[in-house]
Amino acid sequence: MIRRIWSLVVKEFIHLRCDWWMPAFMLFGGALELLLVGWATSRPISNLPMMVWDQDRSSASREIITAFENTGTFRLQAFVEEMEAIEDAMDRGKINAAVIIPPDFSEELTDPRGHPTLTVLLNGAESIPATAALRAIEGVVREMGEQITLERLGLSSEQLSGFTPSLRVWFNETLSEALYTTPAELGLMLEFTVLLFAALSFSRERELGTLEQLLVMPFNAIEIIVGKAIPVILIGFFDFALMLAMVHFAFKVPLRGSLPLLLILAMGYLLVELSKGLVISVISRTQHQAFLLVMMVGMADFMFTGYAAPVEGMPQAAQLYANLVPAHHWLEIMRGILLKGSGLNILWPHALALLILGTIITTFSLRFVRRALD
Amino acid sequence: MSFRHVWAVTRKELRYIQRDRATLFLVIFTPTLLLLLFAYAVTSDVEHVPLAVLDLDQSPTSRAFIQQITLGDDLDLHSRVQSMDEIEGALLREEVDVAVIIPPGFSNDMLALKGMPLQVIIDGTEPQTGGFAVDHIARRAETFAGDILANQLRILGIDPQAMTPIELRVRTWYNPNLEARVDLIPGLVSMILGVPGMLVALTLAREHEHGTLEQLLATPIGRAELLVGKMGPYMISGMINVVITSAIAMILFGVPFHGSFPLFLALSSLFFFALLSMGMIIGVFIRTQAAAMALSFLVVFLPGFFLTGIFFPLASMPPIVRMEALFLPGSHYAIITRGLFITGVGLDVLWPYGIALIVLGFAFTAIAAFFFRKKLA
Repeated sequence: MIRRIWSLVVKEFIHLRCDWWMPAFMLFGGALELLLVGWATSRPISNLPMMVWDQDRSSASREIITAFENTGTFRLQAFVEEMEAIEDAMDRGKINAAVIIPPDFSEELTDPRGHPTLTVLLNGAESIPATAALRAIEGVVREMGEQITLERLGLSSEQLSGFTPSLRVWFNETLSEALYTTPAELGLMLEFTVLLFAALSFSRERELGTLEQLLVMPFNAIEIIVGKAIPVILIGFFDFALMLAMVHFAFKVPLRGSLPLLLILAMGYLLVELSKGLVISVISRTQHQAFLLVMMVGMADFMFTGYAAPVEGMPQAAQLYANLVPAHHWLEIMRGILLKGSGLNILWPHALALLILGTIITTFSLRFVRRALD
Repeated sequence: MSFRHVWAVTRKELRYIQRDRATLFLVIFTPTLLLLLFAYAVTSDVEHVPLAVLDLDQSPTSRAFIQQITLGDDLDLHSRVQSMDEIEGALLREEVDVAVIIPPGFSNDMLALKGMPLQVIIDGTEPQTGGFAVDHIARRAETFAGDILANQLRILGIDPQAMTPIELRVRTWYNPNLEARVDLIPGLVSMILGVPGMLVALTLAREHEHGTLEQLLATPIGRAELLVGKMGPYMISGMINVVITSAIAMILFGVPFHGSFPLFLALSSLFFFALLSMGMIIGVFIRTQAAAMALSFLVVFLPGFFLTGIFFPLASMPPIVRMEALFLPGSHYAIITRGLFITGVGLDVLWPYGIALIVLGFAFTAIAAFFFRKKLA
């Protein structure tokens, strides 16, 4: 039996060698893409174009403009003199925010009973940068306001030190975006790679008419399935190791937990995704269909990894469903081991969930694929 | 280029899609299903973030403060803990996403106006939830501290009105409440409409793989006609999807559409021209569907998702990525969609993006046709 499975595995690798573009793209192209995407998306929001209409032209107004620039969130696009210029730039989507400093700003600021105001216009057409811009502006204004309060009361900063709470971030001390985004992006790539390879395994043979040949050979269904599965698992595992090394070295994603545990659980996760891919493979009649199904399943799962939106914020039904998505548990495991150094004593619910889901999906998949092949 | 020839190729490809119900269904409804899923996920608000509190002060002030921050639906008091170890355990097990530590002397310091010795710990692996919680706590803490400050100043005989700091008047245009659905759903529409661009890459590869490309070339159909004809069905399915997905966005998710819909359709057809030509380049070079899938996923789909400025503002990206975005039809289309849905601008603002799509379309088609000829010669 092992010899027969071995010969099937060899056959699969010969296929891969003949069409080496596909594995090359998926593995090395995928890793490079991860590098590019990780590099581009793992930075805080910065450099947002901003316009300033300074009606005051005083040292105080210049000071606050510099403070806005120093946050790093903004890039000063232009000083303007009239509202039309701001309106036009907003309409064209050229700026994310505009600040209008009224002519009495410095006067009000120095007057002990003064009441300085600042007008901020945000471009709501892009809500994510607009929110970031608002946060940055509020921060600057709060700090300045505190200073003014102190001066007016004639107190020293020790007597009235800030009322903003101090913040400590655990597991990601520098709040690096990369630690958060790259594991999820890695998970996305891995899932697509495994699903795609698995989904093509039978649909391709069926479309090209070679499935019958395979079925008349002296292999039973289990041998065929195992023979098809081994190369996919090997590729998936290689892909995982490659990308893990990359995010570790390129994006300084730490490995605080146990590597063997991570690899064992990765193997389990790959088996689950493989089973899903095999089901897609036997229900689709052409590679075209298989591809569309992979896109749909893969993207649907990606939604529950907490990348685009935190799962906790989703409606109750979606949160319950998230428990049925293997990728969701896998991401929790990966973040736990990489970033928090958690072990099985903490991650066991996710590992158990993966095991149960894996058993169900694999059993179903085996029976389903066997029936389809017989 | 003869229209009859192009149409013949289009009909042939249409027949391939129609022959199998499942393919037809998937080609038409994949974008719809993806939009439903994504839109559902991105528009949900963060609420009920679980919080652990370590109150070492146990004073009326600290209790009032805890009540203040857990008021409403944003933060839920999950547990009152007794030690740092418990906080660590709760964070590791993900029972809570944020912890607040109120040190001894909290009340005394606050009343003596010596600041707020408060510590907030968030789980940095979930920065969205954590950032939300910190913002929320900071805002409530500021109000809380402000009230105490005003009170103490009044006792000292100072009028708190005299020290109101800078007043910020914030006006948000186009989307007054900064609702994610108003701008993210149009963004998703533009991203999801990239699906036909991946499918078109498979069509030439399929003919290669089945060995039917020679037959096609033996007919009097020219190469450019073949390429354009192959794009036809995906242009049609794409335009159908524009209508379906924008209808879903408007009706199901209540996203307003402020621009002109005919203009949207016209600019969408330019987008598909550019997008499908880009997919065609892949089809020309690659001989198997499997490899075409892998490449179109990498070149069309992922950049369309990450690098067109929908979730991550392009302004914050490195210059090279911003350069690359100029060559992606999706990034121009994202601006067009946003402009028409949210800002409600017209052709006077959007024309540069339309021109960019036309230029990209012709350039990509020319590249595809050139290499197609060369490869076959």
